[in-house]
Amino acid sequence: MSKTLAFGIAAGALVAVAIAAPASAADGAKLSVLHGIPGVTVDVYVNNALTLDNFEPGTLAGPLDLPAGTYTVAITAADAADASAPVIPAVDLPLEAGKNYTAAAHLTEAGQPTASLFTNDIQTLNAGEGRLTVRHAAAAPAVDVLAGGTAVITNLTNPTEQILTLPAGTVSAAVAATGTTQPVIGPADVTVAEGVNTIVYAWGSLADGNLALAVQTIDGLHSNPSSIPAGEAGLVATNQPMDQTMLWMAGLATLMLGGTVITLTVLRRRGEAQLALDRASGTATDR
Amino acid sequence: MKTTTSWAAARGLGTLAAALPALAVLGVLGALVGCSVQSSPERITTTPSAVTPSAPPTGTSTVPPTPAVDVPQVDADISATQPAATIPPVRVRVADLGIDMPITSLGLAPDGTMGLDPNPAVAAWYQHGPAPSWGRGATVIAAHVDSLVYDIGPFAKLATAAVGQEVVLTTAEGLGHRYLIDSVQLIDKAAVPWDAIFDRTGTARLTLVTCGGEFDYDTLHYLGSVIVTATPVE
Repeated sequence: MSKTLAFGIAAGALVAVAIAAPASAADGAKLSVLHGIPGVTVDVYVNNALTLDNFEPGTLAGPLDLPAGTYTVAITAADAADASAPVIPAVDLPLEAGKNYTAAAHLTEAGQPTASLFTNDIQTLNAGEGRLTVRHAAAAPAVDVLAGGTAVITNLTNPTEQILTLPAGTVSAAVAATGTTQPVIGPADVTVAEGVNTIVYAWGSLADGNLALAVQTIDGLHSNPSSIPAGEAGLVATNQPMDQTMLWMAGLATLMLGGTVITLTVLRRRGEAQLALDRASGTATDR
Repeated sequence: MKTTTSWAAARGLGTLAAALPALAVLGVLGALVGCSVQSSPERITTTPSAVTPSAPPTGTSTVPPTPAVDVPQVDADISATQPAATIPPVRVRVADLGIDMPITSLGLAPDGTMGLDPNPAVAAWYQHGPAPSWGRGATVIAAHVDSLVYDIGPFAKLATAAVGQEVVLTTAEGLGHRYLIDSVQLIDKAAVPWDAIFDRTGTARLTLVTCGGEFDYDTLHYLGSVIVTATPVE
């Protein structure tokens, strides 16, 4: 899900920042900022404090640990003296505790600068899996995402996202106008690492020929094995019963003779079976 | 700087246009930022002080401020963000214990526990977790202590490991990574903090795991885990 900020005359990057105030992971929010507007370098002020200096297109800043709350963000020309003359009006970013956000300054489909606040999926993944999030933040019509020539995401529009859960590995991905297979970006190899949300942004402008892919990763979403059951025979147990111990010792002796524990077990069981047969037929003698 | 003056120009025009209807402002800025920054470099000849009434005082120092906090910034281009391939460990040796075993790369067993090679003479590396090449987190190597089919395995000797003994992990590219054992524990399996065992953060370390202690002859499982940790030799 994405929430498009009504930026009005947005232009430039949107950012936020932690102004001192350390937040605990439990009640704080995480915020990253992507600058996805080609050709302009900016400074970013959060609550009137310079936070990102000379923020370049294609750059990802953060993540910042912020106490939940609303942050006022202003974008100025690079190297402005302060936040008093923003190139866009200040905007408020509401951030909730426990969530992970990316604010992306980017172009609309029509090429207008804008900003979108995306909420990143940080749900735990199954072992062996990775998450691939694809976000359309480019001045381009709806697109399909092709993996190995096959559309795995269709009709993705600016400024939305689609999410796939995949076996961890590398995907050869390309972006094409929806319904077509001629790439406008890529193909490019994208590593979808295990336990990681790999977020790919298509940004830039189709008309200006500067479409590109930016990647953000959020790790630590893996799940761990529940245990390591690393033994099944009790051969080194500290509580071996006499029978078991003798069996093991006999097994070792058998091994020396080139046999196996299994052989001995089979022989022993065969012996017991013979004993049972003997008893059944009334020929058994007390042993 | 080209981009700086471009923005100054945009800001100046924005200020001048402030008295115009909002739609007009939007149109002007949209055109400027979306296209003209790149296609009309001649606009850049305008200086900020000349077109920006609200610019900071020019009679004083104009040294720009520096950020109060240092926010990490990285090049997000896809070409710069692909992680280096993980290099799996392929052999583990503890000379003092006579352990010298090949390692296979495994993930989860169907029951959600760590996958292990059925042969106790072959160790397993948890392939979704850290490897020596990560430079962080716990590289986890485990092997059955015994088997009904294969008998007792080399990791049975881990129970007798001593602090200070050397472990050498060889990775697929042929590099030997040296570690020194710093702890040997027998822990009741139910009490083992498995998430900590498989921790992917913190300083790089090696964790060797097998089973030990008492055996449950009904479930055919050991009740304890032998856990040996080792830290890299610089």
